[in-house]
Amino acid sequence: MIRLFNVYKSYGAENPALTDISVEVTKGEFVFVTGPSGAGKTTLLKMIFCAEQPTSGHALVNGRNLNRIKDKDVALLRRSIGVIFQDFKLLTRRSVFENVALSLEVAGIQPALTRKRVHQTLRYLGLADKEGYYPPQLSGGEQQRVAIARAVVNNPLILLADEPTGNLDHELTMEIMALLEEIHRRGTTVVIATHSQELLAGTMKRIIKLSKGRIV
Amino acid sequence: MRISFLRYFFRQALGNIFENRMVHLIGVGTMVIAFLIFDAFVLAFVNMNAWTQERGRTLTMSIYFKGDPDRSAIEDIQRELLDYPVSVTRFISKQDAMKSLRRQLGERAGLLDGLKENPLPASLEIILSRDEIDDSLPYELKKKLEGIEHVDEVQYSQEWIDRIQAVLGVIEIVGLVFGGLLFLAALFIVTNTIKLTIYSRKDEIEILKLVGATNGFVKAPFLIEGSIQGFLGGSVAMSILFLGYILVTNKVDLRIGFGALDLVFLSPEFILLLVATSVIAGLIGSTVSLGRFFRI
Repeated sequence: MIRLFNVYKSYGAENPALTDISVEVTKGEFVFVTGPSGAGKTTLLKMIFCAEQPTSGHALVNGRNLNRIKDKDVALLRRSIGVIFQDFKLLTRRSVFENVALSLEVAGIQPALTRKRVHQTLRYLGLADKEGYYPPQLSGGEQQRVAIARAVVNNPLILLADEPTGNLDHELTMEIMALLEEIHRRGTTVVIATHSQELLAGTMKRIIKLSKGRIV
Repeated sequence: MRISFLRYFFRQALGNIFENRMVHLIGVGTMVIAFLIFDAFVLAFVNMNAWTQERGRTLTMSIYFKGDPDRSAIEDIQRELLDYPVSVTRFISKQDAMKSLRRQLGERAGLLDGLKENPLPASLEIILSRDEIDDSLPYELKKKLEGIEHVDEVQYSQEWIDRIQAVLGVIEIVGLVFGGLLFLAALFIVTNTIKLTIYSRKDEIEILKLVGATNGFVKAPFLIEGSIQGFLGGSVAMSILFLGYILVTNKVDLRIGFGALDLVFLSPEFILLLVATSVIAGLIGSTVSLGRFFRI
């Protein structure tokens, strides 16, 4: 599903953000990417959803070569990848429903089907009664669930989460993790970048450790 | 393109306009001024052009005689003119010419008292209808008439028409340059207005792209927004110009030179063309601002 071969990413003369990264994530896998701040976790995730291109090396995601991908194909690839951010990246001027519907609207899904899928997803994530709310009216945990709803509403093949529980307390962290595991059980490949030892404690999942841009 | 996309684009564009209504109001207002000047210029040019064409439709020709012609000399010429589209013929004798000159000189007519004999020639003035003749005919007729025994010289009114048309040619060039500058000004206005709305929606653009929106999908509402701005600017300018035209034609008796000037308004095709130009200005303006911004 995701294959990186000797990938380097550098932003100039400074130390490269990623150095000689070779990694494979198979379909249906649940993987943690961990390491201290500045280790390159976010850069790695950005590369997977085409927000960054490798300086050298090769990256393949869902069979597409990211070194040679066209703008239009980037959009198509992103429709098969759901992304969750630490800061949620919700549109504050749009309702919960509208935020979640975005992922379907960009794909040209008919409004009736969009409504149905958004209702289903919000119900699944326990947000059925918050449809008309605006993000600033919600708690942090609720906002993160909206972000998850937006990421999974179109049934993506891959779900990427960058510090998904970074802003949440223990209880909410466990709640969000339980949701991500539930999504994984439905067949989605999940990659979570985190520096939280709390999430990794006792996990049986594969952990990719990064330090100063290298896998250690 | 799917209907759901179009509906989404228009909803977004109208939402953008509403949210940034002050910026858009100023933008549209400035465009109205630019297009009003541009449209007024076009209207003035169209009227001047129509006026010279109207004047140029007839051609006056003066046939000057040697000495004092007798009736048969005049009839000879009139016979020659039977084959031509002559609408008016007027004979001006030497005495009539002198009377006319005295009238023109007014108080200074005394200057003519010292003359021993009348130096003014008798003439025959004819008006040719231009619709039925080609450009070379006046010259051919002049040569033919000058070949007649009693005719001294033939002059016709082509010269001043040529001169006015030359002036119109210059005005046309100045108009093109001036119009081009106004068009650029309108582009600049739209570019900056759209840039402001793009900045206000920066987060939204980023998120749209992250969830898989194509560049076209993200850009379309901004292009529609620019076109709407251009359309509003162009339409309001045209409406103001029309109101101005109604006011001017109802209250002011415009006279230029030889007679009353009937102002005409722009034809429906011309109106459509000018409004379409303003929409295109809006479209190009928003494309430029998107091109500069779109590096996400």
